[in-house]
Amino acid sequence: MKPVIRDPHPLFIVDRGSATTAAALVARVDDRRRLLASIAAPASIPVDAVLEHLVATLRSADPDLLSNLRFPADPITSGVRLEAVSRPPRTIAVLTATVRGHAALASVVARSGWNQVGATIEQDDPRSVAARLLDPAVSAVLAGADQRAGADERGGLADLSALIAAVATRRPDLPIVLAGAMANHESVIRGTSPDRVDVLPAPDARSGTPPGEHLREILVGVGRRDDDARWGLARSTELLASVLDRRVELLEVGMSGGLRAAASVPAAGRPYDLAAITSAGAALVPARIDEETIDRVATWSTEHVDRHRLRDRLHELRAHPWADAAGDGARLRMAALHAALAHLIELTPDLSARPSPDLIVVAGGAWAVAPAPIIALAVADVVRRPAAVQVAHDHARILGAIGTIADRAEAQALIADLVDDMLAPLGSVVIPGGLRTGLPAGSVVVSGSDRPARVELVPGGLAFVDLPPGIVATADFEFRGPVVLGASGRRFQVELAGGLGGLLVDLRDIPLRLPDRQDLRRELLAGWQDPLWQEPAWLGGGP
Amino acid sequence: MIIEAGVRPAPGLAPGLELVPVRTVIAAPIDGFLRLRPGDRPLVTAGEAFSVGAALADALRDGETREVARADPAAPGPDARPGDRWSSLVGEGRPDGDVGSAELLYEVAGRWRVAAGDLVDRVEAPVSGIVRDVRPGVGIRITVPARGLPGTEALGSPVRGRLEIAAPAGGELRAGAMDVGRRGTVLVVGARVDAEVLTRARAMGVRGIVVGSLASKERRDVLASDERQAAARHRIEPFGVLVLDGSLRRPIATPLMDVLRALAGREVGMLIDPPTLVIDDPEVALPTPSPELVRIRSGPHAGIEGRWLGLAGVRRFAAGVHLEAGRVALADGTTLTVALADLERFQ
Repeated sequence: MKPVIRDPHPLFIVDRGSATTAAALVARVDDRRRLLASIAAPASIPVDAVLEHLVATLRSADPDLLSNLRFPADPITSGVRLEAVSRPPRTIAVLTATVRGHAALASVVARSGWNQVGATIEQDDPRSVAARLLDPAVSAVLAGADQRAGADERGGLADLSALIAAVATRRPDLPIVLAGAMANHESVIRGTSPDRVDVLPAPDARSGTPPGEHLREILVGVGRRDDDARWGLARSTELLASVLDRRVELLEVGMSGGLRAAASVPAAGRPYDLAAITSAGAALVPARIDEETIDRVATWSTEHVDRHRLRDRLHELRAHPWADAAGDGARLRMAALHAALAHLIELTPDLSARPSPDLIVVAGGAWAVAPAPIIALAVADVVRRPAAVQVAHDHARILGAIGTIADRAEAQALIADLVDDMLAPLGSVVIPGGLRTGLPAGSVVVSGSDRPARVELVPGGLAFVDLPPGIVATADFEFRGPVVLGASGRRFQVELAGGLGGLLVDLRDIPLRLPDRQDLRRELLAGWQDPLWQEPAWLGGGP
Repeated sequence: MIIEAGVRPAPGLAPGLELVPVRTVIAAPIDGFLRLRPGDRPLVTAGEAFSVGAALADALRDGETREVARADPAAPGPDARPGDRWSSLVGEGRPDGDVGSAELLYEVAGRWRVAAGDLVDRVEAPVSGIVRDVRPGVGIRITVPARGLPGTEALGSPVRGRLEIAAPAGGELRAGAMDVGRRGTVLVVGARVDAEVLTRARAMGVRGIVVGSLASKERRDVLASDERQAAARHRIEPFGVLVLDGSLRRPIATPLMDVLRALAGREVGMLIDPPTLVIDDPEVALPTPSPELVRIRSGPHAGIEGRWLGLAGVRRFAAGVHLEAGRVALADGTTLTVALADLERFQ
């Protein structure tokens, strides 16, 4: 790993995602490192071409600054680079003796970042199970049973272990995780391949807190690489919490999966406090576009589109994630993003049970081109807890790469230097809980900008207040009845940071209730989103 | 903001063009993969050269698992290993006591599970090439020393036939235009194809379809048809579909259509993995696309082609989205500003 902090030269930070190559230029200006420029381009564009463009952009904007940097003669080929990679999720075959035992394992795998295909000895023909394991697209095997195999499982375990042992001789590249009672059959599998080092015994799908956590950790560790951007993002979340001394949550949605990470300043004696869950199913468009995926996206779509057409458009979005990013394409992308995010939140109730964060950071290519107010609304739509949170965007996509720096102190120092540059403030979201419908809720007076703004609060609706980036305002809420906003009460004074999307006071239900009828749902969602598909007035935007 | 100043153009490219996603028109050589399942019998070995029509494998159409007791006189010997071929006329898997030629899967509790079947389809090579690797139950890796036109997706089986242009780049073929006169051909059917045309083409003995886009409904129909054919008792003719673009309708790009026109009347092969139309006649001269030709691949102007004029900087597009853009001169003299990611160029 390169000692990036001590290197006096400018540093390129590159995040090579499945869909996007993001590049940033960091250099020491005066006493600290600053983020000077960043760019994102489709992953098919060569990294060097992206860096050339980045340098050219900076040269065009501030030639003096560029000439003062201590660039090597040819910065693109000889400059210092810190690089992280998001690879497409690999596929694990999940095998059980019984159908009953499969669901628990599958739910653990769904939180581990793997794509999965499943089979059971009880239901599937052994030839088709063997074919699945021999498929080159399968990169690992998880075979499991309860810690104490049930009576219904015992008969199938011998078959299962013999089948895996046979496959192991033909696929020596295949890591094998044996969970629960399957671990007792390790000798059968090793018997045919005694030299294998990647046969891993593991606890069953109920072990740990939350259930399956021990197995999940083992699955996450199988084949993880040091330059993995998603792992780096999780680590950066924890570093960010330490630097800012705040509770931080990170929501990443990309083409290869999603990540939810939550961190806070650790209690005395603990090295860190971080929980992170990755999911291949929380990709912007999962690799397999099944009926469930269509349902999820249709739930959040503001456009009338039949299922076949929606499937075709999702196929296109999957194949060309950067294409058709404006107009209707932007709305489709936002529906897919909502669906992915909602899936991620569903998969992580343990993270939702943690105290509400002070700061939510959104990251990943899925957010890259959406207008800021829409991003803030998407977060409020899906992450629904009574709280006041600031929302920011890892706009230059450098958190993932920084998190891969092995030396913790080095990574933390870099984040401390760059934190103001790398997080684009999207605004603040306030979601009071316990509002009574049908009655005026109260009002809020926001002070700190040019003049105090007073907004009447209507339950079930959204209230927006212009609060530009850099402004710290005080919001005095006065509710007519008791509500929950961190604590229970009627009057709250909250300090809020401005952002590109301003302040959003969200008075809708917790959890959000949407009409079952598709046309009514579309109308409601469009009503919330339509005003936001434009830049705020203070930025000179209009319809 | 115009940001062309200072960009070092890639050799031979107009400034900024290196930021436009590139599409490869002709790839060579081609590394292909033919998937095998347990019970399928490879008929070639690594390092072997094969020519068009050579038998590569016998694939089971009705593969299933059968059992052979270790006590059976014809049971596999003690040295038998999973993946080995095994045959017996005195097994007990079938009513007549014959499990035929099978592949050993695994042994448990004194019985071997074997992958076997009664109906075998011979897999013939649609192209000439060299076998790189053979792994029973997994697949055959081949290298084809020929040029290929890559697609985005292929369904069905590897096939070979005489290429025929049945519809223009932006056109569509009606089912009524499909008759037995097209038997044995690989048809280029224009921008899109519907399920009826595909069904009729298969019934008429057409070997393959090359199409600009294939909607998911049609894709589902093709896969279902494949499953039905596999379940049939009679031998089926291989049939493949090569998709050049994606799911939404758009004309076949001019550089691709130019290549297809140059191949009209000639024999071509079609591989499924990777999805490629193989041009194994080294004599055929293929047109080279202009490096400045760009095509609008998606968005409101999808399918339109023009000439690259240069970068336009970050532009605001519909729905308040800001994207890096480029300028494209169209044939009618107008100029469009298009998001870079909506463009593609050819090489």
